[in-house]
Amino acid sequence: MNEFPLLLISFIIYILVMLSGFASSFGSKAKWSRISYSLAIAGFIVQSAGLLVRTIASGHAPFTNMYESINFLSWSCVLVIIIFQRKFRLEKAWPYLWLLIVALMALVSSPLLPKNVTPLVPALQSYWLWLHVSVTLLGEAFLAVAFVASILYLAAGRSSAGNSEAQKKQENYDLIAYRAVAAGFPLFTLGALVFGMIWASQAWGRYWSWDPKEVWSLITWLFYALYLHTRLVMGWKGKRSALIAIIGFLAALFTFFGVNYLLSGLHSYV
Amino acid sequence: MIKFLSSIRLAIVLLILIIILSVIGTLIPQGEQPGFYQNYFPRWSGLILSLQLDHLFRSPLFLSVAFLFLLNILFCSLRQLPAKFKQLRGPIKFTPTGGQPVRDRKLASDLSDWLMVSPDSLLRALREKHYNVKIKEANGQKILIAQKDRSGLFGPEIVHLGLIIIIIGGLISALFSQRIELALTEGQTVDLPGQSFSLRLDQFTTDYYPDGSVKSWKSMVSILEKDQVKKQKTVEVNHPLKYDGLNFFQMSYGFDWDRTKVELEIKGGGSTARGLTLNVGEKFQLEPGLTLNLLDFIPDFELDEGSRPASRSAEANNPAALVEVTKDRRPVYLGWLFYYHPELNQVQREPDLELEISLKKFEAPLFSGLEAASDPGLNLVWLGCALLFLGLLACFYLNYRQIVIGLKPGEKPVFSAHSRHNQTTFYQELERLLEVRPDSAINSDRKNEGKTK
Repeated sequence: MNEFPLLLISFIIYILVMLSGFASSFGSKAKWSRISYSLAIAGFIVQSAGLLVRTIASGHAPFTNMYESINFLSWSCVLVIIIFQRKFRLEKAWPYLWLLIVALMALVSSPLLPKNVTPLVPALQSYWLWLHVSVTLLGEAFLAVAFVASILYLAAGRSSAGNSEAQKKQENYDLIAYRAVAAGFPLFTLGALVFGMIWASQAWGRYWSWDPKEVWSLITWLFYALYLHTRLVMGWKGKRSALIAIIGFLAALFTFFGVNYLLSGLHSYV
Repeated sequence: MIKFLSSIRLAIVLLILIIILSVIGTLIPQGEQPGFYQNYFPRWSGLILSLQLDHLFRSPLFLSVAFLFLLNILFCSLRQLPAKFKQLRGPIKFTPTGGQPVRDRKLASDLSDWLMVSPDSLLRALREKHYNVKIKEANGQKILIAQKDRSGLFGPEIVHLGLIIIIIGGLISALFSQRIELALTEGQTVDLPGQSFSLRLDQFTTDYYPDGSVKSWKSMVSILEKDQVKKQKTVEVNHPLKYDGLNFFQMSYGFDWDRTKVELEIKGGGSTARGLTLNVGEKFQLEPGLTLNLLDFIPDFELDEGSRPASRSAEANNPAALVEVTKDRRPVYLGWLFYYHPELNQVQREPDLELEISLKKFEAPLFSGLEAASDPGLNLVWLGCALLFLGLLACFYLNYRQIVIGLKPGEKPVFSAHSRHNQTTFYQELERLLEVRPDSAINSDRKNEGKTK
């Protein structure tokens, strides 16, 4: 048995989550929101089962190549969206966040990414693989939520002028983005930088080599440091904050994809 | 000057500068020869080389920006600290600020009534909620200061201290770390410069997965001190050996081609073919007066730019042996013999010499590439990392909360309640605190007010 059917089912469920989420902004709000949320939980359970099956079948952590990592990233994003929905109420942001999940799952199910199980090269055989990658991707999932919320903030910018109801909604996007960064930044720091350095010092003998992947993680980290400093110390909010959060996540995406496909270095797995 | 160095504007500018330089550092290939940049970036090579962007992260430009950043973080923290300690000690003299919102006023009066009527129960209630409480009395004024999650106040300073320590640790690593590359074949022992011990490779094995890819490289090594085995361990990728401040890492493996054993097949002179096994550099007398000399072996033969034989890689892609035969010390046969392409053998020989030589087999000893490293900055970096992460947790998840109530006979009580994050939740917390207030502490005038709400 392999995980593809389970992932495909969760992909379909996530599409339904998104559609019912959008439906809630037109039809009877409460009913559609409830349906959408229940579907989200169901999809999350199915995808979790998929992750488990992959882990058992491959015998190693479910994030050692692009296919596995994007699947794990989307799983993390789903987890984060559900947490945010429970704690803070995402309101209008909900269906748009699922658009991101659907995009990630489309990538996971596409034939672009080889899905075969490959044995681990010696450098990856370490428990730090679990710690480094899972914490990093979980952190990036929060940053992805901040990214979507920031885009929504900018998109709402044009229509909300003079409308206090819309303005309140827009401010909620700003708050969601900040809360997501506040959770994602410490996780990213721990997973990508600290755990990455510890692992590098064990596997390669140096904790920092100015390898492109390392430098781009640092660049990503610096963007969010910029976000937090401009916001918390200089009081920036709204548009300018949103822009930094968007560029920061683009840097994270480049660290994840771009460095592998465009730059060469030590970190040649994912 | 100090004000400039500790300013947030400088911090923002430096963050952006470091981002820009880092991006450039990944776009320009690092550590190549000057000629490389002249070839691939003809227009920019002058700028790249003069600003030393070919090793950007060690260039004076980058290091000075990093140094300025270090000063910025340091001065910023130093400037913040006194105010924060002052806040922690609490106000010496409390003066009412006035103009508080309605919600504050209700809370303020309820809490100050409580303090006035039953201070002990208020203190107990606050301490149960893990508040640090103290009461100061001076000039007829009674001031209660209750604080919770006080380290949350210092989150940013802890993060910055962590960063400072990481940067200093990194600097120490860059200046003082030592790395020695070792290539050992089985049974070989090396002395380590500056150390009283030596390292012996006892066994080197490579395990493969069923699909043929490498599963692990294992170097079983012994640490020897005065010919006594002090420690034995199998060094693998991800499993370094630590001994006396040195770490030994499994870095690479390969073949020691200088010590290749070559088997040649020799036909000629009417005699039948015979095999001959030689080491590189070894001579063999074929018959009286006729000597074969194995001069060289190259695993991946190519002709370099100067048409000289060279090895393209360390892999056995195109193995070739250079063989010379002399007759009474006069060379009569000289040429490269190819393992995969014997038809291409390039031989100069005397026409009347009846000799056919071909390269049949080669075998080089496997070596294990180990690296011995000492890094005195390492522990500082880990300490800095721990502070960095704990500081971030303190920033975002330890919410410093402070309640100050001042009472003075004959005057209106003064009150302030402040939390670093999420003031609304904090007020809800305080309202819940009021639920455990003893009845005696509820001002009867306001009792009804509270209920009709």
